[in-house]
Amino acid sequence: MKTILGIEGLFKDFSGLEVLFDLNLEIYEGERHAIIGPNGSGKTTLFNIITGLYRPSRGKIFLFDKNITGWSSHRIARSGLSRSFQIINNFPKMTVYWNVRSAVVSRFNRRFNWTTILDWDKEIERECDRVIDLLSLSDVRDVPASELSYGKQRHLELALTIAREPILIMLDEPTAGLNSEETRNAVQLIRQLTEGKTLFMVEHDMDVVFNLADRITVLNYGRILATGAPDVIRMNEQVKKAYLGRK
Amino acid sequence: MNRLPVRQLSWGALGLAVLFILPRFLPEIRIHLMTEIFIFALFAVSFNLMFGYAGQLPFGLAALFGVGAYGTALVFNHFPGIPLLAALLIAALSGAVAAAFIGFFCVRLSGPYFSLSTLAFQMFLYAVALKWRSVTNGDDGMGVVRPDLHLPALGSISMRSIHNMYYLTLIVVTIGILACYLFLKTPLGNSVVTVREKEIRASFLGYNVFLIKLLAFSASGVLAGLAGGLFVLYEEFVATTSLDMNMAMTPVLMTVIGGSGHFLGPVLGAVFYLMLQDWISSLTSYWMLLMGGMFIVVVLYFQGGLISLLKLDWIWRLRNRGNR
Amino acid sequence: MGERLRETVTGKGMLMGFPIEIYAIQMLHGLVYGMLLFLVASGLTLVFGMMGVLNLAHAAFYMVGAYFAYTITRYTGSFWWSLLICPLIVGALGILIERFLLRKTYKGGHLGQLLLTFGLFFIMGELIRLIWGTAPLSVPAPQILAGDVSVSGMTYPIYRLFILGFSLLVLLGMSLVLTRTRIGIIIRAAVSDPDMVGALGTNVPIVFMGVFGGGAALAAVAGVIATPFLTTYLGMGDAALLDCFVVIVVGGFGSLFGAFIASLMIGELQSFGILWIPRLALIFQFLLMAVVLIIRPTGLFGEKE
Repeated sequence: MKTILGIEGLFKDFSGLEVLFDLNLEIYEGERHAIIGPNGSGKTTLFNIITGLYRPSRGKIFLFDKNITGWSSHRIARSGLSRSFQIINNFPKMTVYWNVRSAVVSRFNRRFNWTTILDWDKEIERECDRVIDLLSLSDVRDVPASELSYGKQRHLELALTIAREPILIMLDEPTAGLNSEETRNAVQLIRQLTEGKTLFMVEHDMDVVFNLADRITVLNYGRILATGAPDVIRMNEQVKKAYLGRK
Repeated sequence: MNRLPVRQLSWGALGLAVLFILPRFLPEIRIHLMTEIFIFALFAVSFNLMFGYAGQLPFGLAALFGVGAYGTALVFNHFPGIPLLAALLIAALSGAVAAAFIGFFCVRLSGPYFSLSTLAFQMFLYAVALKWRSVTNGDDGMGVVRPDLHLPALGSISMRSIHNMYYLTLIVVTIGILACYLFLKTPLGNSVVTVREKEIRASFLGYNVFLIKLLAFSASGVLAGLAGGLFVLYEEFVATTSLDMNMAMTPVLMTVIGGSGHFLGPVLGAVFYLMLQDWISSLTSYWMLLMGGMFIVVVLYFQGGLISLLKLDWIWRLRNRGNR
Repeated sequence: MGERLRETVTGKGMLMGFPIEIYAIQMLHGLVYGMLLFLVASGLTLVFGMMGVLNLAHAAFYMVGAYFAYTITRYTGSFWWSLLICPLIVGALGILIERFLLRKTYKGGHLGQLLLTFGLFFIMGELIRLIWGTAPLSVPAPQILAGDVSVSGMTYPIYRLFILGFSLLVLLGMSLVLTRTRIGIIIRAAVSDPDMVGALGTNVPIVFMGVFGGGAALAAVAGVIATPFLTTYLGMGDAALLDCFVVIVVGGFGSLFGAFIASLMIGELQSFGILWIPRLALIFQFLLMAVVLIIRPTGLFGEKE
C-alpha cells in the first residue's frame, strides 16, 4: 500500500493559539479518505497547511515521499496535489470557460508562454471543453462565474480542482450548501472523478462520508481521535461520544 | 471564435493610414503635438498594462520612463556612433531591467503599498538624477542630438526634421502598442489577468504569483522605457522632469480619464490630455488644476473613463474582461 | 542641516574624520527631524489604522500648513497665531475632503481611494504653486526662540529644541487622548472594528471625519513648526510624502509605535547620512526600506495583512 500523503508529528499554533496537536496520518494511494470532526476541530487548517498556505509550527508533510513542508502553494499544486475550497473560490468575473482555461493552461505548463496566442490554441480549447462537459457546465460555458447558480458554482469549483489532472484530490466540504438531490449527484460525480485517483476530503454530511469513504479519520479539538474503516469508526466509543453522538 | 479580428484590423489599418497621411495637412507645430501624443500613448498603455490588466497601480512608473530617457541620452552622448534603433532597444531593455529590480522589492506588497513603494523608488532615482551632476547634469539636463537613422534598404535618413521623427515615432509606438496587445493574448498575458482576478486561487492552480507579477511589471517597464527613449529623441533633451512627480501623475491622469477598462482607453486619454494641454495652457495657467479636477470627477463618478462615456468600446470589442 | 556642525570643538577625539561632539549634535538633529517626521506620519498611520485608507494627500496637508504659516505670520506678524490657526484651517479642510470626496470611495476598494488621494495631493500642490508661486519662502523663528543655547561647549539653536519639546508635548497629548479619554477609546475601538462600534450606537462617520481632520491638523502643526527650521518650498510635499512612506514601510502599516521608532531611525539616518555622504544621504533611507521590504515586508512592527 503506497503512501501518497504522509503527515508526521504535525503541530500548528497561531501566535499562541494552539490548533493542531501531534497529527500523524497516512493517505494511501487510490483510497478515498474522509476527515470528519466538529466545527473548529482544525480540518480546514490542516488542509491549508498541507496545501502550503500555512507553515506548520512543527512536523513534516510528505507528498510521494518528497518532503513538501514549507513549500509554496504553487509548487505543491504543480506536484500533483489539487484542492477545492469550502467557500466558493473561483474567478468571479471570468466566464466558466476562462476559469477552466486558466487551470488547463497551468496543467499544460504554459503559464509563462509568451509566443503563442491563447485563443488560437486548439489543444487547450478541446481540453477545456472536455472538462466543462464532464462537469455538466456546457450550458453555462460563457456565463461569468459570479452569475452562476450555487450548484453550478460548486461544479465549477470541482472543475478547477480536477482540471490539472492531479493525483491527490483534496476537497473541502464539497457538498456544503447543496440540497439532498444535488448532494446525491455530487457524490456520483465525485466518485466518477476520483476513479483511479486518491481523494482526501473534509465532510460534515455523514451520508456522503459513509457512502464514499474507504477510510475515515476523526479530528477533535485538533487531535486525531481515530483512523480506520467506516464500520470501525462507527463503533468507536470515543468517536461516538465526541461527535457522532451529538448528531 | 474568429481566427483574426478582421473588423478591428481594418479599423486599425484605416487609422494608421490616416495618421500616415496627416503630416501633409498639418502645420509643423501640430506634427510636434502628434509625435508627443504617440509617445505618451505608449507610456499610458504601459501604465494600463499594470493598472487595468495586472490590477496594480504603479505610481512610480515614471521611474522606468526616466531610466529609458536617461539611458538613451547617456548612450548617445557617450557612444556617438551608436545606431538609432540600438539605442531605442537599450531604452527598452534598461526599462525592463530597472522594472525587474524595483519590482523585486515592491511586487511582493499588495495594493497601496506596491503603489507607494514604486513611487519611493522613483523619487530616489529623481534625487540621484538631481544630485549626480557629473553624470546627469542635474536639473539643467542634457541635450541630445538626433542621429541619422541607418536602414539597409533606404540608406541614411536624417532625423532632424520633425516629419521623419513623426514617422519613426508612429512606427515604433504602433509596434509597441501592438506588442502589448499581443502579449495580453498569450498564455502569459492570461496568467497576468488570472493572478489579478484571484491571487489565492491562481496560486493553488500552480501559478507563481510573485514571478508573474514581476514579469508583468517588467513588460510595463519595457514599454515605459521605450517611451522614455523616444521622448528624449523627440525633445532632444532630458532633465529631471522625466522623473518627477508630474511625470508620475501623467500616465495616471491619462489612463484614468481615458478609461482603464479598455485596451485603447489610455490612448484616448493621452490624446485628450495633450490636446487639452495644447489648447488651454496658452489660455490660462490653471489648466493643470482643471485636469486634476476632471481626474477627481472621473474617479468618483465615471470610473469607466471617456471611452465608456463615448461608448466606443462596443465597436472595438477589445474590452478588458473582468475589470471593475 | 549640516552647515553649522564643525564649529567650536573641544577636541576630545575623532571618529571617521569628525570630532566626537559632532555626533552628539547630529543625534540631536536626527531626533528633531525624527520627531517632526513622526508628527506627520502619525496622522497618516492613525487614518490608515482606523479607516484602512492610505491617504496620499496627507503630505499635502503638511505643505499647506507650512504655506499658510508663511502667510499668516506675515500678516499678523506673529508666529504663534499661525500655530493656532493653521491646524484649524487644515483640519477643517481635512474634514471637508473626507465628508464630500473620500467617503464616496470607501465602497470601491483601495484603487479608488489611492487614485483620489493621489489626485488630491497633486491638486493641492498645484493650488499652492498657483497661489504662492514657485520661489521658496522663509518664515523667521519667533524672537523668543531665535538664537542659540550652549550645550557642553557647543552651541545649539534654541528653535530646534523647541521643535523637539513641542512635538513631544503634542505626542504626549495625543497618546493621552487616545488612552484616557472617551473619544480616544472610541477611536481605538473603531480602528479594530468599525462595524461593531457602529452597532453600539457610535456615529462612525463622524468619528471618521474627526480622525481624518485630526490627522490633517497634526500634519499642519508639523508644517507650521517646520517652516522656520526648513525652508518652505514646492518640493517639500514630495519630500514629506517620501519620508512618510519610508516610515510606514519600515515601521509597519498601522502601527503607531512602529511609526515612532521608524521616524527616529530615519531622522538619525538622514542626519548622519548628511554628515558622511552629504549629496546622497537618501541612500541610507532606501537601503533601510529595501532591507525591510525583503526581510519583513509588513514592517518592523506591522501586523500581517
